[in-house]
Amino acid sequence: MTSSTTTSPKKLSLAVSAASCTLILSLTLPALAWGQTEEPELYPEFLTEEGEQSQIPEVLTTTRLRQSKLKVPGTTTIITGDMIRDLGIMNLVEVFRLVPGMVVGEYGSNNQVTTYHGTSQYEQRRLQVQIDGRTAYRASLSDVDWIAIPVALENIERIEVSRGPNAAAHGINAFLGSINIITRSPYDTAGAEAYTSVGSRGHLRTFTSVGDSTEDGSWRLSFEKRKSDGFDRQKDDEKEEFHDGFDINNFNFDSLLAIDNIHSVDFRAGVVDGVNEEDSEKSGKLESTTNPDIILDTYYLQTRFNGAISDNHFYHLQATYQNQRRRQRWSVSVPADEFVQLLPPGAPFPTDQGPFVADFNEDAEESRLEFELQNTVIFNPEFKLVSGLGYRKDTFDSETYFNGRGNNYQSRVFANAEYSPFDWVTFNAGGNWETTTTTGEGYFSPRVATNFIINNNHAIRFVFSRAVRTPDAFEQDPDWSYRPRNVQPPFEALEGTRFEVKDLVDQTTSTFGEELEEETITSREISYFGQYHLDAALMSVEVRYFNDYLRDMISGVINEEDWYIDNNVAVDQEGIELEGSLEFSGTLLRATYAYLDQDSRYTGDPDKLPPSTQSRAVALMGRLSARHSGSVAWIQELPWSLTSSAAFYLAHEVRGTRFKRADFRLARRIDRPNFSYELAFTMQHYIDQEPWMSPDNIIDEPNQYFVEAGIRF
Amino acid sequence: MTPHSRFRWRSLLHMTRDTFRRAVWILLGLVFVVSAYGQETQSRLVYVAGSGNTALDQHVQNLLTDQLRSDITLTPISNDQIPMIENTPVISIGPAAFSRVRQANRSIPILAMLVKKSFIDGFAARNPGQISGVFYDVPLLRQALTGKAILPQANTVAILATTATVELYEPLMDELPAYGMSARVFVVDSEDDLIPSLVRALRYGDFLLAAPDDAIYNPRTIKHILLTAYRRNKIVIGPSQAYVKAGSLASSYAPFLEMAALGANLIEQYIVAGAFPAPAYPQIYRVEVNDQVARSMNIPIPDRALLNRAVQQELTEDGGPKGE
Repeated sequence: MTSSTTTSPKKLSLAVSAASCTLILSLTLPALAWGQTEEPELYPEFLTEEGEQSQIPEVLTTTRLRQSKLKVPGTTTIITGDMIRDLGIMNLVEVFRLVPGMVVGEYGSNNQVTTYHGTSQYEQRRLQVQIDGRTAYRASLSDVDWIAIPVALENIERIEVSRGPNAAAHGINAFLGSINIITRSPYDTAGAEAYTSVGSRGHLRTFTSVGDSTEDGSWRLSFEKRKSDGFDRQKDDEKEEFHDGFDINNFNFDSLLAIDNIHSVDFRAGVVDGVNEEDSEKSGKLESTTNPDIILDTYYLQTRFNGAISDNHFYHLQATYQNQRRRQRWSVSVPADEFVQLLPPGAPFPTDQGPFVADFNEDAEESRLEFELQNTVIFNPEFKLVSGLGYRKDTFDSETYFNGRGNNYQSRVFANAEYSPFDWVTFNAGGNWETTTTTGEGYFSPRVATNFIINNNHAIRFVFSRAVRTPDAFEQDPDWSYRPRNVQPPFEALEGTRFEVKDLVDQTTSTFGEELEEETITSREISYFGQYHLDAALMSVEVRYFNDYLRDMISGVINEEDWYIDNNVAVDQEGIELEGSLEFSGTLLRATYAYLDQDSRYTGDPDKLPPSTQSRAVALMGRLSARHSGSVAWIQELPWSLTSSAAFYLAHEVRGTRFKRADFRLARRIDRPNFSYELAFTMQHYIDQEPWMSPDNIIDEPNQYFVEAGIRF
Repeated sequence: MTPHSRFRWRSLLHMTRDTFRRAVWILLGLVFVVSAYGQETQSRLVYVAGSGNTALDQHVQNLLTDQLRSDITLTPISNDQIPMIENTPVISIGPAAFSRVRQANRSIPILAMLVKKSFIDGFAARNPGQISGVFYDVPLLRQALTGKAILPQANTVAILATTATVELYEPLMDELPAYGMSARVFVVDSEDDLIPSLVRALRYGDFLLAAPDDAIYNPRTIKHILLTAYRRNKIVIGPSQAYVKAGSLASSYAPFLEMAALGANLIEQYIVAGAFPAPAYPQIYRVEVNDQVARSMNIPIPDRALLNRAVQQELTEDGGPKGE
């Protein structure tokens, strides 16, 4: 027990020194607080018969607390799992409509994509996406397969989106921002849960979870099924359905083992399998006659050792391995006269027979092995240092894309120091040094920030950062070809022959095989975060102004007809983003708005591409950039255990289309002494029925309906 | 014997009688004075049975001494002396000391300091006037309003209880609607129930009101409860200052000075009336906040004086403190 003689003067002196730091603080400190410091720290609880006192340990030490938004070196949006569920969001990717500056949509045959500040033509490759600290984007193309992401909505605790370059913390690919999906601790999900939702366009989602929690550890086993029929139809196809659904099974196992009070081990594993339907008309290649559906088979293993040397010095060592296998096969039928044009002159094949019938594939297997050691030292309340090492091995194996197997290796060292010399200011300085075999070079991504903190509730941040993105494996080292299988006569002699894409693409613009350099971004941010404790409400406001220079951006087209990607576009972008929430009794109001102004220009060799192609390369960079986007959400508690929510999402505009949707949900949640259950009805209303992002994304009915039921024991 | 000598003997005898009479009167006076003094000293002596924790006992005794009239003396008492006490009040510090005194001597008056309402109420009800106390725990309504003062938008309060203690929360559940709030109790009957019930409680409540229920909140469970709550971005209020130090966001608490003032008042009333009033809560409370937790959860905390005032104002505006 701390005696009064030692504690009071210490507390008093701390208070005095704190007060002397700033006039503001000293003025706001209440007189009563000084009185409190005179009270010795005597807590007469848990006294034994002998008078010994077993005090409660400080279980929430800095090891377990998150960094305050007042002190973080950048703007972060946090979406809680409860908000996701209360708003009736049916797919994980749609959560990002709540994040200022992010755009969500579907390309191809209903393949989900989300971007922050665009700069994508289809796949987003410039965001670091993590699930519980495990890198989730693909090894070869650096995009995220959101349909098959191994996270169930019910297991999400919160999603943190760092807006702005975050390479200083997460390395290459955290170029425009980073997303960390944090799942519920198995400690918090002991018991059993079951949930199902069914709705329009073949929507089906079921979730079941069982788990247990004891002092020594906890575990959870969960299963989720996601199913959808996709869009109703394509623009040019009035009668037939769009073959763009999916049917995914997701198993996750999460466990924590407490070794002692300060050491623990996490172990997670998961399997995702299923089918992502691809429509032959929309996504077929090389005169396909069958739908090139993607058969998915993914698994991952993750273990993390958490340790502490003291309350002020802790670390973790994490190892993850994930393997993603995609099997995509289809049949083609090419008229013989067209086909023989692809063959070398004089090839001994008839032109009056045929057609050429065979099977092609874009099978690929990608794996990633990753280690990370992170060490955090809190030297004193004013100075904290986070540092670490990382190593990653990406392996890709595809006969089609890489003509076999390839590897990339990345190693990195990172650190961030947070220094708060006074209560009113915090400095952050950090950086990440990373080497990659993709380019054979090393890169340093720094970030410095100053946060001026006013009255402990407001912060004005000035952030400067630079980041790089190296080309991904497929952009840099493609060895792309198709080998026909099951070739039908009279072309059977071509069985297994390589048809190299570099020979198929337009040779006048082809950059196939040319080495690419890294992209760079220089970002400046001025942001404000404020919390207002009103009489009957809490309000928070965050405003971010950014001004970014993106250079040597890799843009262009990569498909079997054209390949002209290069470091050929520069983008200057600026904008402002707002996020605010107001909570008062039984009511949550939340609004976001983002304005983005991008100015892109061609900076590549002017003789390399014709003007129209140069313009296209520039246009592609802004293809998923919305000038205006935002959301409004209202969650209201009602009598009789009812909760309603309404949400409105807007994106204006992407590829000449606008997204406007209003969601309404009414839920009744009943808490019994030993179980709780919930029933809900959700309606999504598409305000403009124009297809979003692609003219083929047609939804016939403006109102989409969903019914949910869930029970938890 | 000569007449002169007879006179001398007579006068000597007379003098001796006077002296004796005077001595008797003086002695009687002395006896009376001493007796009276002794009686007065006995009535103003108060024994103190400590918890065994020297620092705590000394602190409480010092505060009581400062608050009591100067003619009341506090004297520590050992376990051996307790059975021999008659009619002298004993101040016990902590529940263990109370039990010790009560078991050793069931006839003496006891003022129990640093005890929970649930602990002493039964004794006091069965022995009115003989047993009283100063509650250490905080009235649940005050704790709920403390949560409301920190989260002004809060209107739902989640409570964990065992089947045995669930009825203790009924008064609170009846009182809260007057303050625009409602509470729901989630039952925890075994260790296995704790986290599942907590998760459901956190889904319901704007904050978790931790009551002084040792079966649920104890040093062994508090870590998981706090971590689970904060992962859910839900705050925990209560049950005491010790838990705030451990990581609970805030708790109201009665300062030692206020508890000592009430204790002194109860003792003085006993001395005047020969009987204790009923046990009571102190009148003045303060709010302890864990600023580190508040910052981490991005919860703006009004300054302490405002918080204290806000809670008190809520209580008094509705016709004065209830249930306290």
